[in-house]
Amino acid sequence: MITVNYFGNIAEATQSNSETLNHNSMSLAELLDLLNSKYAIAQFPFQVAVNRKIVSKQQALNIFDSDEIALLPPFAGG
Amino acid sequence: MKKVFLEGAISPEFIADSIAKHQSKHSIGAHNIFLGQVRADEVGDQKVVAIEYTTYEEMANEKLHEIREAAFEKFDLTCLHIYHSLGTVKVGEICIFVFVSSPRRKQVYEATEWLVNKVKEEVPIFGKEILDNEEHQWKVNS
Repeated sequence: MITVNYFGNIAEATQSNSETLNHNSMSLAELLDLLNSKYAIAQFPFQVAVNRKIVSKQQALNIFDSDEIALLPPFAGG
Repeated sequence: MKKVFLEGAISPEFIADSIAKHQSKHSIGAHNIFLGQVRADEVGDQKVVAIEYTTYEEMANEKLHEIREAAFEKFDLTCLHIYHSLGTVKVGEICIFVFVSSPRRKQVYEATEWLVNKVKEEVPIFGKEILDNEEHQWKVNS
C-alpha cells in the first residue's frame, strides 16, 4: 500500500486528506498520471514529497510499498 | 523536538510570558522578536476576515528542526523559539512568533530575518483565507 497525503486546495479537489493506493510499486510518473486521471491535479501548482523530502516531479523514481507521498501546494506560513 | 504549532491565535499573554522566562538567562544581552499578524487583504470587493492554517506536521517538524540547527550554526545565538498557529486566526491576531536571543545585538536582527524567510519558504504550512462572504481562497507567499 502506498499512502498519499493531500493538503490545501489539492485536498479540496480530492475531497480527502489522505488515501492508500493498492499498489506495491510504481514510478513517480505513473503515480502522478494516476492521480491526475482521478482528480485533474495537473491544474494546480504543487511539489511532491516522498517520505517527507521534496523530490522533483520529473525525477525517475520508484515508489514502493509503505512509502509516504505528499502533494504540497505553495507554502503559506507566516 | 521543540513544539512549534499552537492551536489558534498566539496571544499577547503567551508572548509576554515567553519574554519573562528569559530573565533567568543572564548571558543574553539582546532579544529580537518578529510577530506576523493576519491582515485584512482586499480580494475584489471582499476582505479577508481570517486565515485557517493547516500543515503537514511530520514534515514541518523535521524541516523546523533542520532550520533551528542551521540557525545555531550560522549565528551566535543563546536560544531561539518559533511558534506558528494552526486552525483559525482572525484578522488582527498573531499567527507567527519568532523570538531570537543572543549575547549581543547585531546577530539577532540577521537571525530573525533569516528564520522568518526560511519558515515561509521551506515549511509546509497552508493558509485558507476566509472572505467576508464566506468564500475562500488559498494564500500563497509572495
